[in-house]
Amino acid sequence: MMDALRELVFGLQQAGYLPEMFRYGFLTNALVAALIVGPLLGALGPLVVVKRLAFFSEAVGHGALTGVALGILLGEPATQPLAALFAFCVVFAILLHWIKSRTQIPYDALVGVFLAFAIALGASLLLYVAKKVNVHILENVLFGSILTVKDQDLLVMLLLAIVCIALMLFSGNRALISSLAPDLAKVRGIQVRFFDYVFVLLIALITVASVKIIGSILVGALLLVPAVSARMISRTGREFFWLSIVFATLSCLLGILLPMAGALPIPSGAAIVLVASFGFVISLVIRRWRSLA
Amino acid sequence: MGPAIDLKEVSLTLKGVEILPKINAYFSPGKLHAITGANGSGKSSLLKAILGLAAHQGRIERHWPTANETISKARQIAYVPQQTAFEPSLPITAQEFLLASLTRRAFFGWRKAADLKQVQALLQRVGMQAKGHLRLGELSGGERQRLLFAQALERNSQFWCLDEPMTGLDLQAQALINKEITQLRQAGATLLVIHHDPAWVADYADQVWCVDNGLYIQGDPL
Repeated sequence: MMDALRELVFGLQQAGYLPEMFRYGFLTNALVAALIVGPLLGALGPLVVVKRLAFFSEAVGHGALTGVALGILLGEPATQPLAALFAFCVVFAILLHWIKSRTQIPYDALVGVFLAFAIALGASLLLYVAKKVNVHILENVLFGSILTVKDQDLLVMLLLAIVCIALMLFSGNRALISSLAPDLAKVRGIQVRFFDYVFVLLIALITVASVKIIGSILVGALLLVPAVSARMISRTGREFFWLSIVFATLSCLLGILLPMAGALPIPSGAAIVLVASFGFVISLVIRRWRSLA
Repeated sequence: MGPAIDLKEVSLTLKGVEILPKINAYFSPGKLHAITGANGSGKSSLLKAILGLAAHQGRIERHWPTANETISKARQIAYVPQQTAFEPSLPITAQEFLLASLTRRAFFGWRKAADLKQVQALLQRVGMQAKGHLRLGELSGGERQRLLFAQALERNSQFWCLDEPMTGLDLQAQALINKEITQLRQAGATLLVIHHDPAWVADYADQVWCVDNGLYIQGDPL
């Protein structure tokens, strides 16, 4: 199917309907990835904000660094260490949440400890595996690259998207009530702890799925920045949700297209987050303008 | 008819500190039980233990007198917690909070007209029909309390636990809530209400309990 899509885009470019850059198949892959990952990150962002898990998603992103290094060490292909990446991030996220639920340590402090551990372990392992693989591969892991998105990655993203959408449709309200009023949720028979774990798992999976295009350093930012921008100018929860999706998707698409159009040597992850940050500034201006009006 | 609540050798401790020593008590069904006592005496903790929200020693049994037992037990509890603070800048409206409480239809999706109508009716019952569009953080303390009462009304429950439900309410809102409480009482619901106002307790309670290093029927130690 992706072959057909790439051929279609190429055909349109050859016929003069699309700019020159669309003759490259990897751009089509990257844009499809953006259209899957952008809405997903945007949809999950509001719940990340409501549940105050921004710092957590950042930590999981940094955990991806270690996952990649472990995968390479364990013999997975350097460009595609998916098993280790998924396994490490999921274990990392669940362990963090499990300790949180069993100790009195403030959550931000606990996430800080895990974040430091993930970076330290990742840096140590990466330095070691750097001798074995092309250093550009590691750069791609850190900051993302549109060149590296393969059909297999798209399939993984699509499967995750289906799981996430199903879970959000099924448990979105219960997650919201659990976050706003946990005691009320429990009395209503909502398994608050179960939904917490489901949510944490979702963040871990989406983070991993997005690493290819956004990079492990910045993936947490795309869960956060569009949602915060949307929150500033939304009047209702529904607006908050959909605006976050629009901001995240636009950030992904523009973050991929603008550097290509301008022939700028910027990693896709950095460009995406820069666009998202620009969206944040626009939201600030809109908010200010509204308060003056 | 609401359930009887039977406390058997129940004691509460929090982080090693005893909040309530071992108590036995029987809250008879279909009555309004007012629970009074000084701040920090353990009233809210006792209520939370009855709701299954706080760890406790001993047994707490609910005895439903009728065929209600076939309905999910969780569904049969209505809880109005003590003042809940919401993040002020969070763009979740009072209407969305109620919608999320009463339906599984995702808060970000399409809304059924019947659900919206039900929410509006609930808001009307607590005098907030014009406030549904306000963010949770924009609601005053009294309005938040009324919203929490509205979400409890949605349960159509015969067992109510209310933790200082009149906190922050103006006279008009108090009248509305009192009307609902009276109707529940007449319908045979069991209500456990933590309250500090002796006049309200005298007017509405069928039985008055006092928490003071134990649980006593007022003036008459168990």
